This record gives sequence, C-alpha cells and structure tokens, in this order.
Amino acid sequence: MDIYVLARYPFLSEAKEVVRRENVRTEEILHDPIYERARDIGRQRVTDALEEGVVGGYPVASETDALMNIFSYPIARMIVASVGHPYFRGRYALAEAKRAYEFLQGESRDFLLQVARELEVAVDDDLRLHFADYLRHAPTRSQRWKLVNMPLSQGWLSLDHRELARVLQNAIQHRLFEELRDMRPPSEISNVFREEVTAIRNTLQQREMREKAEMGEASVAKLPPCMRMLLAAIQTGANVPHVGRFTLVSFLNAIGMDTEEILGLFAASPDFDRERTRYQIEHITGKVSGTDYTPPSCASIKTWGLCPTDKMDAICRRVNHPLSYYRIKGRRRK
Amino acid sequence: MTTWLQEQFRRYYARPRIHFPDRFPRREYALIPFGEQHMQRHLAVKTREDLQSLLERRVPAHIYYSSAYYETPDAPTMTEKGWMGADLIFDLDADHLPGAGGLSYPEMLAAVKQEMIKLLDFLQGDFGFGEADLAVYFSGGRGYHCHVTDARVQTLGSQERREIVDYITGRGLDTQSLLQERTVYRQGNITQTSLEMPLPDEPGWRGKISREIIRFFQSLLDAPEEEALQQLTQFEGIGPKTARTIYEGLTPQRIQRMRQGKFDQFPYIKKMAPHLIRRSAVELRGEPDEPVTADVKRLIRLPGSLHGKTGLRVEHVPLGDIDQFDPLVDAVVFDDSPVALTLKKGTAISMKNRSFDLQPGSHTVPAYLAALLVGRGLATVDS
Ligand code: SF4
Repeated sequence: MDIYVLARYPFLSEAKEVVRRENVRTEEILHDPIYERARDIGRQRVTDALEEGVVGGYPVASETDALMNIFSYPIARMIVASVGHPYFRGRYALAEAKRAYEFLQGESRDFLLQVARELEVAVDDDLRLHFADYLRHAPTRSQRWKLVNMPLSQGWLSLDHRELARVLQNAIQHRLFEELRDMRPPSEISNVFREEVTAIRNTLQQREMREKAEMGEASVAKLPPCMRMLLAAIQTGANVPHVGRFTLVSFLNAIGMDTEEILGLFAASPDFDRERTRYQIEHITGKVSGTDYTPPSCASIKTWGLCPTDKMDAICRRVNHPLSYYRIKGRRRK
Repeated sequence: MTTWLQEQFRRYYARPRIHFPDRFPRREYALIPFGEQHMQRHLAVKTREDLQSLLERRVPAHIYYSSAYYETPDAPTMTEKGWMGADLIFDLDADHLPGAGGLSYPEMLAAVKQEMIKLLDFLQGDFGFGEADLAVYFSGGRGYHCHVTDARVQTLGSQERREIVDYITGRGLDTQSLLQERTVYRQGNITQTSLEMPLPDEPGWRGKISREIIRFFQSLLDAPEEEALQQLTQFEGIGPKTARTIYEGLTPQRIQRMRQGKFDQFPYIKKMAPHLIRRSAVELRGEPDEPVTADVKRLIRLPGSLHGKTGLRVEHVPLGDIDQFDPLVDAVVFDDSPVALTLKKGTAISMKNRSFDLQPGSHTVPAYLAALLVGRGLATVDS
C-alpha cells in the first residue's frame, strides 16, 4: 500500500510493518533527533484526542512526512498507555477512529473491504455484512441503526458505502481500545514524555473535578422525575425493563456516581443480587467494554414510555436532556 | 422416603436418553431434588459417565445446564467461572403468551408451537442459521426452547442479543418509513399523493410486512362478506362504516397494485399496520427485565431429562417434524402400567392418543398420566 495512504491509517498492520521494517529500536524512536518530528506529531495526536476529540490534520507533503506520521502513532499509543487512565484510552481510540472514518468515506470499495478484513469484520464483495459483526460494531442505540430496521436476509445485510465506513469506525475504535488496554509501555516512555503524561493526568483530573463541581455532590434530590420514578421502581423491586435500568445507570454514572454508590442505591431492592447488579452496572458504565454510554435524551426516554408526563415540572419543559435538568436544579439550590 | 413419582424417575435415570450439549464439560449444571425448592448450582462434569452417574445418584426433579460455557464451570461466582461464550436461547413459554390463561394445557402447547414456527422463520430466513446450528426442544412443561449454537453468535454480549430479540419481536421498528406518502401529481393547488408500501420480496421487516399486508387483504377478499367485515371491525379505530368502505374498495387489481408497492387511495392501512406487525412478530414478551435470550448465563433444562411437574421428557423436535410433533404423545416416557390414585380436581386430557375425562375421586390410570397428575399436584398415588 502507498505510504501516503498508510499515513492516514497508521493502525493498520501494514503500517506497523513499515515501522518494523525500518528496524529501529525503541531507544532511537524516543531519543534520536531523526524522529523528533515523529515525537512531535505523536504528542500532537495525544493532545488533539484530549482537547478536540479527534486527531489528524498533520501535514503529509513528502514521503518523510508520511513516514513520520506513521511513526507518530506507536509513540502516541505509548503515551496514552502510560497515562493509564481507562477513560482516556477510550477517548483516544475514538479520536483515531473518527479520523479514519473521515478518510474511509472517500476510499474505494476494495479498500473498505480490505480494512474490514483486517478488523475481522465479515463483509462480502457486495458490501454485505454478517449481522453478528453488525451487532458488535454498529451504533444500534439509535433507532435508525437498530437491526430491526435493517434489510436483513439469510444472516447478511447490505450497507451503503458510508454506513459501512461508519461501522468500521466503531470496529477500529474497539480494536484500538483493546490494544491499548493490553499494552505495557516501556518505562522509558514516562521519562521521555514525563511532562506530557503529567500534563494530561492533570487535565483529566481537573476535568473530573470541574465536572463534579458543576454537578455538585451527586444527589438524589436533584434527579428529574423520570429518574426518580425508575429509582423508586428498582428500590421497591418492581419489574424495570432493561432500557429503564440502562437509562438510570448511565444517568447516575454521568452525574458522577461510581459503581459502589449506585449499588448502594439499588441495595434497597428486595430481590437485590449484588454480583449480578454489579455486572450489569459495569457493563453500562463501560468498565467492561470501554464504551461508556451517554444517558439517553428526553426524546428517547419518552419513546420508551419512561417519562412520567404527568409529573413533568417547569424545568422539564425547558430541557431536552435529563442531565440539563440536573444541572439547572443544582444551580437553583445554590 | 421415596415417592411414587421419584421411583419412576429413578427407573428412567438408570437408563436415560440424554442429549449432551456440545462442550458439556464446560457447562455449569444445576438441579432441584425432589421435595425441595432450592436449586443446587455450580456443578460440573468431566465425562459423559459423570453426568450419567449424577443423574443416577441424585434423581433430580429438575436438571438444568448453563447456556454459557466457562473456563471453570463449577466456580461459585461469575468472575471466577470465566465466561467464554454462550448459546443463543429462545424460551417460548405459555406464561409469556397473552391470552394463554384461558386455554387448556394442549391448547396452550399448540399456541406456543405456532410462535415457535414463526420464530424459526425468523431464525432461518432472516438470520440464516443452518439446520446444524438450530435445535428445538419441547420443554417438558408449558413451552418450547430453541438453541442456536452458531459460533458467530456465541460470543455476542447481552446488548447485542437484545437487538436480536428486538428484531424478532418487532420492537423499535420504524413504522413511519414503512408506509410513505409520495406526491405523484401537483398542479396549482391540486396535489395527489400516493401511499407507498414495501415490495414483498424486500429483505428484512419491510418484505415481511408487505407479505403480511398482502396476505391479509387477500384473505379478506376471499372471505365471505360477513366474515371480512367482522375481521375488519376487530381493529381499533375501524367502525362498521369504515369496514364497509374498505371491503367495497377491495379488488384483485388493488391487491395486484400492492404487490407492486402501491397503496393508492387506501389510507386505512396506516391504522392497521401496527396490528399486522404484531401478527408477524414473535411473542417473547412477559419478561421485561431480562429477556431470556439476552441473558448470557442462563440455565436451561437438560435435553433428555424429565420435567418434575409433568413427568414428560425434554424432547428434541426435529425441524421438519415440528408440525406433526405432539408433546402429549412424543414426549411421553412412562408406560401404561396401571396406577391407582386419588384425583383432587376433575381433568380432561388426551395423552398417547387416548382421551381421559376424569371426575375427582379414585381412578386407575396409566403410569404416564399418573405422572402428569401427580407432578402437577392434582392427584396422589394410593399406597
Ligand atoms: S421531560 Fe425529560 S427530564 Fe423531565 S421527566 Fe421527562 S424525560 Fe425526564
């Protein structure tokens, strides 16, 4: 594959092969002036992921540029792994995947097929995807993408070019997240990139604190009517459909409650099963999968019939999202 | 003290016909002994003989195995077990069927079987599972199970399995875009619109719904007027007047147009679509919390074992024979040696093609019927 193309997809095995073939030691990559550019772009990748949520846009005017871009990727990964923050790993994987999606939309069909194969996503020559892989990677949380609305036949479903690119974005994200999770970066990294690693850790911490401050102490008193209703239902042991649990747990997680705190709230339920509940919670909060789901909007909550319209108050009528409700309520109390 | 029923089970389990699940040493087993409520879990077996001897020694009233396979199936917690994957299980039970309450036991079983046939159409047609990866079992109780062992689905998580459930139950289906209004003609302030519907051979739900709409209107056309009108007024929002308009507007030409995806000047379909969708979907509701299918670590009855409340066997139903399968013949294991018992409640049932209509009191009945009556707590064996 063309080196310029590889520079757009530095996570592909062929790009990794380029790095391997150059036969340089980690030492050199980290210290040799030749790789100064690569280190800079590597830093940039990481900062962009943190600040912008998407990487890319680094000049690729010459072959050297392209090569440096390719080299910057393993460097960036090592930095991310050294930061050692699960949320940040997820964010970085997403930022790389988003960039890839932008490019993938403009690539040929054959190229998409090739990427799909590398990611072990089962696609046939007519861009038909096996439903199991579709379910693993498509954003089925939105109605448009739900399997029930797809042209499924004999286990396969046809996607158009863009849709397939979008599915591949998620497949890339999942692959990168897993790789990062299993990576043990050389300790040398934290020396060379000490400043960066510390700076990122600080930023992450500040963000968490800011978010906490904005949300205030996580408090049940500020919950919107829908969440109160769901919580009460769970606490009294009533049957709550899975979407209901999902809605509540993702919400509580977003306002800063951790698994233990959520477990504490649910423990009142008469048929409380700590282990099972923990398992469910951790699935939703992304401890297990790396995707932490954002809580659904009022519109979705309404479609699922979980918005108690008779209990909606003045704040409800102003917001589109239960999190906004929570923030407004917090401000009022101060 | 061994009861009569337990003794029957003991004899069966001396020479049982068990269908071993694949990777059976990686499964967790669980059983409920006679006379107990509590389930003993986290059992594991290494060999077929182990399982055989477990059954022989314990003679359980109910025995289950896990749809999941684990690294350490007998570990006490999920984390220690080490989940490796799980079959996809569909549990269709009369309890989940709306309106099943008023049905007799055989009627209930027949109704659930119809749902299973619909389910198989989804699994084979839409999902493309091959016969080798599908197995249907009569549960021994009030329903049927379908096990899917396709390797591609065994590693799916519960969120993904839930999408499969939603597909089969039609949940989240975008009905708006199924029937779309299209402007076909516009001049000045005159606009003519036409309603478009999917073509019958389209993949997925679109084709399914199209076929159901055509089938429904064809059946109306074929039915006597009286019956057709009655069919129509069953729909919410369709009164006798509208029903008549619909019926009178129905012509073979119109149905031909439907086959071409045109639903012109026939606005009522919008009202009826939700009902027609429900008919095409499988009823898996009734367990809003954790639909069985989405559960990646669920326990299911061991095929070939006996159900403690009926004495019937969890019986394999060959896919081609499902129409003819009759649990009250094919899942009966006990013989017809006479058993004297006292019946508490009158019961009418047909088993092994013999009809019984019994009043409360003393009777002598074949062992297979005795097992069903005793298991359900309707009778006690005279000693
Ligand atoms: S309007 Fe939104 S925040 Fe208010 S109860 Fe409904 S879903 Fe919840």
